[in-house]
Amino acid sequence: MTTDRVTGRGIFDPELLDRCISCGFCLPACPTYAQTLDEGSSPRGRINLMRALETGELDDDDSRLREEASFCLGCRACEPVCPAGVQYGQLLETWRDHQWRGRRRPPLAQLLMLVASRTPLLRAIGVVRRHARTPSVPAAPTTLMLGCFERGLYPGVSRSARALLPDIAVPADQGCCGALHAHNGESERGVELARRLGEQLPGVIVTTAGGCAAHLTTVLGRDRVHELSEHLVKTGASPVGRLSVGGRRARVALQDSCHLRNGMGVFAEPRALISAVADLVAVPGEASCCGAAGTYSLLRPRDSRRILDPKLDAIEAADLDYVVAVNPGCLRQLETGLRRRSSKVRAVHLADLLAAAAGGTPLPSGRRWTLPRIRVPARRAGAARTTGGPTA
Amino acid sequence: MSLDRDVVGELGTIVGADHVRTGRGDLEPYARDATPLFRGVPDAVVSPRTAEEVAAVLRLATRTGIPVIPRGAGSNLSAGTLADRGGIVLVLTRMDRILEISPDELLARVEAGVTTAALGEAAAAKGLLYAPDPGSRTVSTVGGNVATCAGGLRGLKYGVTRNYVLGTTAVLPTGEIIRTGGRLWKDVAGYDLTRLLTGSEGTLGVLTEITVALLPMPATTNTGVAYFPTLADAGRAVTAVIGDGIVPATLEFLDAKCIGAVEEYANLGLRLDAGALLLFGDDGAADAVERNLTRIGELCTAHRAMEVTLAADVARSDALLAARRCSLPALSRLGTLTILEDATVPRPRLAEMVGRIDEIAERYDVPIATFGHAGDGNLHPTCVVDRHDDAAIERAHKAFGDVFAAAIGMDGTITGEHGVGAAKLPYLEARLGADQMALLRRIKAAFDPAGILNPGKLGS
Repeated sequence: MTTDRVTGRGIFDPELLDRCISCGFCLPACPTYAQTLDEGSSPRGRINLMRALETGELDDDDSRLREEASFCLGCRACEPVCPAGVQYGQLLETWRDHQWRGRRRPPLAQLLMLVASRTPLLRAIGVVRRHARTPSVPAAPTTLMLGCFERGLYPGVSRSARALLPDIAVPADQGCCGALHAHNGESERGVELARRLGEQLPGVIVTTAGGCAAHLTTVLGRDRVHELSEHLVKTGASPVGRLSVGGRRARVALQDSCHLRNGMGVFAEPRALISAVADLVAVPGEASCCGAAGTYSLLRPRDSRRILDPKLDAIEAADLDYVVAVNPGCLRQLETGLRRRSSKVRAVHLADLLAAAAGGTPLPSGRRWTLPRIRVPARRAGAARTTGGPTA
Repeated sequence: MSLDRDVVGELGTIVGADHVRTGRGDLEPYARDATPLFRGVPDAVVSPRTAEEVAAVLRLATRTGIPVIPRGAGSNLSAGTLADRGGIVLVLTRMDRILEISPDELLARVEAGVTTAALGEAAAAKGLLYAPDPGSRTVSTVGGNVATCAGGLRGLKYGVTRNYVLGTTAVLPTGEIIRTGGRLWKDVAGYDLTRLLTGSEGTLGVLTEITVALLPMPATTNTGVAYFPTLADAGRAVTAVIGDGIVPATLEFLDAKCIGAVEEYANLGLRLDAGALLLFGDDGAADAVERNLTRIGELCTAHRAMEVTLAADVARSDALLAARRCSLPALSRLGTLTILEDATVPRPRLAEMVGRIDEIAERYDVPIATFGHAGDGNLHPTCVVDRHDDAAIERAHKAFGDVFAAAIGMDGTITGEHGVGAAKLPYLEARLGADQMALLRRIKAAFDPAGILNPGKLGS
């Protein structure tokens, strides 16, 4: 018999790798395993790959190792179902730090991180796009986070959040939370940016991005960070008004934000808020990843669409008026996918939905400008994957 | 060792090149199953889609002498899918079609790679129950369940996997596709090969299709919990319950160490002054369930229970079961290596066996907590140590050697439901004796003359 205990190279925290008892309970929760039915694209399989990297059984250039570090969505759906409490998200960050170090990092991810780290640039974008603003209130108990790309792509979301939370302060001088960096091989920089944002935004930080909330929480602590729906429920704010379409209550579904649900355990709150102003419709697969997954939809567009397409089928079959996102990446993914299909279902952010219900104003009519769609050929490792499903 | 290029090419011709993987990084994830401390890297991973493809792969393997290790979800705890001699890991997860659910005949027909939970859901959608419920049902495959004769939480009332297998399609190592049993409850034509294949751990044939019996879905289920000063008291209460003519669907116990670990982990409000916690549950018509649970509660109280609670509703019932479900996660957090065993003794000797386990743990200075199925005497002594502490691991292995010997001494067995695999093969002769071991080898040779199917496991 061969034992699996070998001394390591020091890439991973051994305590985190050892936590996995290889029971396989994560397999049914993993969207990429569902695509391939191959152990190597499952969380347990990837942890075994990490172990082999750690022990030197596999070297850094192993094609499958590199492929899986990138193929993983990082949605962390494996964490809530893990009986042993494996911190998979943490392991993945460490893995990408190693696998994507220096020139091995996807250039597009590098570029996005560079832009997001430039706070003056983000401020300029914010000015042009007219995100929410308040006179600076240094001692405010709660502050609204504007996000990096969110303030350019969806400035209306922060205005809606401000309408829902009139007392919140929105300091203009705030940078990126660093989630982007943490998920793309620069986790130290991710921590640094989160700390800096923690200094820029005093008190409880309210964010309209589930992914940012989860990352900030790991650095600043659970008490300092509230995702918008969580904040509204915690502070007892009850949604006002109702959302109608053609004289009836609107039919609305929620697409969970993976990190908000799997990393922070927040999923009942947005549903409760939607139910208060519209008819909440359950859609199969609503709790699983939409394929946006941070930079994934840009880095691996083909795989991203394979994840998204069955979800769009389910959304269209559910006879909805709106599908709500609680994270800008998910919003962009759903919006793009639904528009591509000329669907009548509209993707909206929760903040916009609630503000529209409260104000009786129509929902914003979508983005006017957008990031250019960048085509990156999906990198594939030989026969790593079974075929099937639509192609991009 | 790696496979000849011609062999890889031939495998690709059989299943399609996309479904043959031989890269180092492709093989590594198949070097382990759910059994700690065992690792063996295969030479190829092959994913067939049909019984015919399986047959062609096996013919090739028999001709060339390459080991073939059939694998479902790889959730077994016996190193039963370990490729410690290299060879081909034959993954059956692509064979995942539910072929038939028949309410008229009370049966289902599925391909081997369907998960236990998917079968359960498909049956439930037609108001039917697939009774076996191994702990890994969300991930485990029906093929794997049959190959290991998986057990679960409902063994006493409902039996185990073997009680539900009506028929199989199996591929022999020499390439013949046979159909054993079928759609009949009564069928004595020939040796019972269905039973022989059930629990054969992938050493006699590769199961590709299975017909299982279903039951009408019980109308309700409910649960209660009782605390006892000692496990012996709980054991006497269980004996009294069954003596009273009640066969509950659930009878699970936690020893004091488990209660402590679960409470520490999940803060469920368990009583830390108790020596044992007994979970009992039943299913069926609402009035019968209520009557049985009330009676079980009375019998527990009569046998020194410190406290008895019956769940008021389904939600509360789930909360009570959480203590049992949390046992393994709670224990696994106490260290980095969790060794979960399943020695089994006749039901009346359960408390005595747990006492022996405690003695053995103390003698070898390793922490062993025990939970398990009080209804069928199936214990789960669980040892948690530091993965890098070789001395402690060595002591744990010795301790479990003594635990197995103690179980055999009480007319029990070394494994109730996890299987023998590579992990328990060294202990098997103590349980079966030399004559039966020799017979097992002759049976193995009759099915697998070249000895290519899952070598180093049962029949070796």
